[in-house]
Order: sequence, then C-alpha cells, then structure tokens
Amino acid sequence: MKNATRMEWIKLRSVRSTWWLAIASVVAMAATGVGVGLGYRSHTPVATAAQIFNNSLSGAILAQLLLGAIGVLVVTSEYGTGMIRSTFAAVPRRRTVLAAKVIVGGGAALLTGMTASFAGYLGGQLAITGTAIPSAPLSDAANLRAVVLTGVYLAATALIGVGIGTVVRHSGAAIGILFGLMFVPTIAAGLFGESGIAVGRFVPLLMLLNAIAVTTPTPGLFSGPVSTLLMCGYALALVLFGAVLLRRRDA
Amino acid sequence: MIELRDLTKRYGRQVAVDGLSFRVQPGVVTGFLGPNGSGKSTTMRMILGLDAPDHGQALINGVRYADLPRPLTAVGALLDAGAFHPGRSARAHLSALAASNDLPGSRVEQVLRTVGLSDVAGRRAGTYSLGMRQRLGVAVALLGDPGVLLLDEPVNGLDPEGIRWIRDLLRGLAAEGRTVFVSSHLIAEMALTADRLIVIGRGRLLAETTVAELAAVDDSLEDAFFRLTASATDYHGTEAA
Repeated sequence: MKNATRMEWIKLRSVRSTWWLAIASVVAMAATGVGVGLGYRSHTPVATAAQIFNNSLSGAILAQLLLGAIGVLVVTSEYGTGMIRSTFAAVPRRRTVLAAKVIVGGGAALLTGMTASFAGYLGGQLAITGTAIPSAPLSDAANLRAVVLTGVYLAATALIGVGIGTVVRHSGAAIGILFGLMFVPTIAAGLFGESGIAVGRFVPLLMLLNAIAVTTPTPGLFSGPVSTLLMCGYALALVLFGAVLLRRRDA
Repeated sequence: MIELRDLTKRYGRQVAVDGLSFRVQPGVVTGFLGPNGSGKSTTMRMILGLDAPDHGQALINGVRYADLPRPLTAVGALLDAGAFHPGRSARAHLSALAASNDLPGSRVEQVLRTVGLSDVAGRRAGTYSLGMRQRLGVAVALLGDPGVLLLDEPVNGLDPEGIRWIRDLLRGLAAEGRTVFVSSHLIAEMALTADRLIVIGRGRLLAETTVAELAAVDDSLEDAFFRLTASATDYHGTEAA
C-alpha cells in the first residue's frame, strides 16, 4: 500500500496537466474573490459582509470542475495511454492501486481545494479594504467553517472524478459525465418549483452555493457539514462501484 | 519458468486462446510464433494477470502472477511500446514503477544506461521515436532484474541496429539462466534469436519445437512456418491482378 501510494504520487506530480489544473483552480477562486470584492466597492447600498463572503467563494463552481478533472485524469489518462497495463503489471492488486489513487488524488485535491478556498476568501476581503463594507473575519466560526468546508467539497469532487474515471475509463466521456452530474441535477431541481428544495438539498452545486460556501445555509437545505458529508458519500459510493468493476474487467 | 495449463480465453463466441498448455524453460530464448490474431498477445496478457482466463491457469515459478509479492522482481514484461503516459519523462515513468515494487532509485539509472536512454531520460516520452519507446519498454522489463522476461513483439518498428541490440540482449539474458519468452510473427527474426519455438494458430498449440528441428525438415524456416500455420490463418489474400 505504501509503495503503491509512492508510485501514484510520482505519477501525479510528473505530468503537467496536474499542475495546470491545480494552479487554474486556485487562480479561478482568487480571481473570483477579487472580482466580487471590486465589483461591490462602489455598490449602493453598501454590501453586507455575508454578500461579499458568499459571493467571493463562488469561484468554487469553476474550481470543482478543474479539480474533478484532476480526479478523472488520475485514472483515465492511464487507460487512454496504455499506462494502466504497466501499473497493473507492477501492482496486480487493482484495488490497492485504486486506494492509492484515492489517497494521493484526494490528498492533493484537499490541499489544492483548501488553498483555492482560502484564496477566494482572501481575494474578496482584500478587495474591499478601505471601504465601508464590513469584513468577515475567520475568527467568526461560521466563516472559517464555510471556507474549510468549501475546500473539503472540492476534494470530494476530485474523488467523484476518480470514481467516474474508474467506471467509465475514457477521459472525454468521464469528464462529460462529471460536468453533467454537476449541472443537470441543478437544472432539474428547478423544475420542481416550490418543492424543488426537497430535491435540491441533495444536489452538489446547490449544496455548494446555498449550504456549504455560505455563512448561513438557506432554510430547507441540510447544514454545511451535513451537505459536505453527503458529497463525500457520493464520492465513496462511486469509488466503491469502480472498485467492484475493476475486479471483473480485463485491463 | 512459465507454465500454462489449459489456458482458454473467449471474447463472446470467439475463442481467442483455446486450451493452451506448455512450459517455457529457463536458460534459452523461447520464441512464441503465430500469425496476426493467433492469440499471442492475449496469452501474454493472461500470464501477467491483465486479462482473466475463462479456463485454466498461467503460472510463473509455480504461482499465479497476482500472487507474486513484488512482481517486477520476478517477471519483466514488454507488452507494447505505448504503455506509458506521453507527458511523463522516461525517468519519472521508471521511478514510479520502481517505487511500486520498492526498488532503489539507482536501478532506474542503471536500466536507463543499459537501454541507452540516459541522455534523454528527462524528456517527455511522447517525444520519443518508436525505437526509443521500445527501449523504454525494455528498460521497464529489466527494472526489477527479473528471472523471467516476457516480450511481445519487441523488434516491431526497430531499425536493424535496434533489432541486433534486442537480439544480443535477449540471448545474453537467457545465457545468464533467465527464462526469456518472446513473441513474434516474423519467423526469420525468431530463427536468429530463439532456440526453442512455440507455434500457435487460432489460439491453439500447433508445435513445440526447436529452430534446428524445423530447419532440418523443411527447405526453409519460412516454408516450415507456413506448413504449420496453413490451416490456422484467418485471412488470405490472392495475387494482385
């Protein structure tokens, strides 16, 4: 297990796409944070602390796709190139390989997601310095919780990517499915009208924007921690499904 | 030693490998011959545990591949020249595989020297020529200093110098007492490299023989190959009109 994890870590850091996607996700969130802050500077009436805070984390909409893509590529790039045969010849216990990918991919995504989340928060706060808009300090537990949970949500997205990648094994198809899962349920929940919230509280993007990356969740949704756990649950289910298929299929 | 017992693989109704049983002994180069589509690659993938047989088993030194604790130290395999990520350098590719079997980093530099890729090891492998890719594949096979080597069409796409290099390398490895199993559809090349031959067609064992025996019976090795595989070739062309 330790050796497989070392292998996966070398593999992850030795391709450029990992770095581009990781950097892009941090930059996307930082830029969104700064953009939100600047946009509200001369806004009347004066923006509230929650407005700045919630919106400054909305770059996570883009970051989740970039980190999800990292997760997908951790698996599908191996099938696309034939590398998977080298990997399974070196470590025939395939579920050990998958577990190592979850540890390494999930760990890297957690670090990146956390960095991105804090970057978005700080970008927003820095951009409103010197204005009448009240700041949202991290000493406030609700704020700190939202920033941290957003980082965890992003890591869970990467693991959802690992799971989809293991099931589908094709980069294009897996990324397409990942994007679909992130957006289609959101639109579908809207179709339910008034009762949409009963469905919406289970939908990733709606959880992110209304329960996780906000100081106070919208009524009717699960709390931030519960929503984040739900995301981790989705990731676990997909990875386990991938693990079952991995055993049966030829490489 | 490699041992196959009634190894069988079906894809739907098509039987790719049909009850193959044979042994590959150490100390000599054993050629694995057969026309295109005869099941050579499928057999090799099953030996490596990449494809699951529908029936029978493939054993290496008496155990299944999946039960080898550090497989790279027992078996080295060259499956195809593309089993790497094109964006990763040869050195990173080898380092990752070395780490998986707890092999020291010094082995990576050693095999890079053996295959002559030391100077370009930092370049992304996708920029390599076909010959360099084959050399990288051979480096992977040698990484764990294994007693058994399995190479699927190693001379494909190599220039004459590369072909001679592979030939000398394989004969040298066999002379050290290793088991060397090399597939090819080129009888002429096998005649120069291998001592023993296993010939299959349509997934079935057609002959277990030696190069010397074949040469004694037929006018040429090519004739011998056609005689053996005549009934087991899927596609026949005619002369151009």
